[in-house]
Amino acid sequence: MNRNETTKHDHTAMNKLRAIDFALQETVLFLDAYPENKQALHYYHQLLAQRRELIEELEHSGHPLTMYGNKSQTSWDWIRGPWPWEPDAN
Amino acid sequence: MWTYDKKLQYPVKIKNPNPKLAQIIISQLGGPDGEMGASMRYLNQRYSMPYNEVTGILTDIGTEELAHLEMVAAILHQLTRNLKEEEIAGTPFATYFVDHTTGVYPVAASGVPFDMKYVGVKGDIVADLHEDMAAEQKARVTYDNILRLCDDPDVLDPIKYLRQREIVHYQRFGDALRITQDHLNSKNFYAFNPSFDKGMKKT
Repeated sequence: MNRNETTKHDHTAMNKLRAIDFALQETVLFLDAYPENKQALHYYHQLLAQRRELIEELEHSGHPLTMYGNKSQTSWDWIRGPWPWEPDAN
Repeated sequence: MWTYDKKLQYPVKIKNPNPKLAQIIISQLGGPDGEMGASMRYLNQRYSMPYNEVTGILTDIGTEELAHLEMVAAILHQLTRNLKEEEIAGTPFATYFVDHTTGVYPVAASGVPFDMKYVGVKGDIVADLHEDMAAEQKARVTYDNILRLCDDPDVLDPIKYLRQREIVHYQRFGDALRITQDHLNSKNFYAFNPSFDKGMKKT
């Protein structure tokens, strides 16, 4: 096994996830301060549904996002590069 | 990036406040071999690691150390709840109390605030992994010392859990070092500079 194996990085999906996650981050910070705001809560759930779908897609194509997301039963993809701080992951 | 899981890794439920004990345990928050130093050490060392196994181990242990930081903070918080003035005045906790009240601030048991000097990042895989293995042993000894000075079963339980994790982390760093040395060729048998010199790795 080549110990520094990399997975082909899916820039499109990752950038889409970054956009959704940034919107979620802003919404969560807003909800922390205004927990009664129904409009923000509704927006949060919309974003969350999009996020779930995208993560499912990413993880099934061998890009686990967290240590709980290694979908493959036969290979440990979690430690494959590129790592987030490498140019190829960005 | 990181997200927060809203749970402790292992439960902390302490019935009796004990500021004197908190004054000792606080070293595992902000002391020389504490969890803050551990997490900062591993998460900062990751960037220069040449092997995915080692980068993965540092990422996941560094992240677990953040969870341990929270457990130690929970122990400190519960040991300093609902204190009466007479439980503070004249005890070793009084000097901490005057500066931080019962807030959780990372200092060593000796009172020295957390310092990144406790953390080694050499940018060399062999140097850094030896640092990490030593750090896990030093943290284990600190937990041993806390166990010697503590007789509250509510505190002993999570402290014993944290001590066990030091031992497991030491073993995984040992694996990381073995994986690293398996990559070295006969010209570099003693692992003098595996990170940077060409021709020192097995091809």
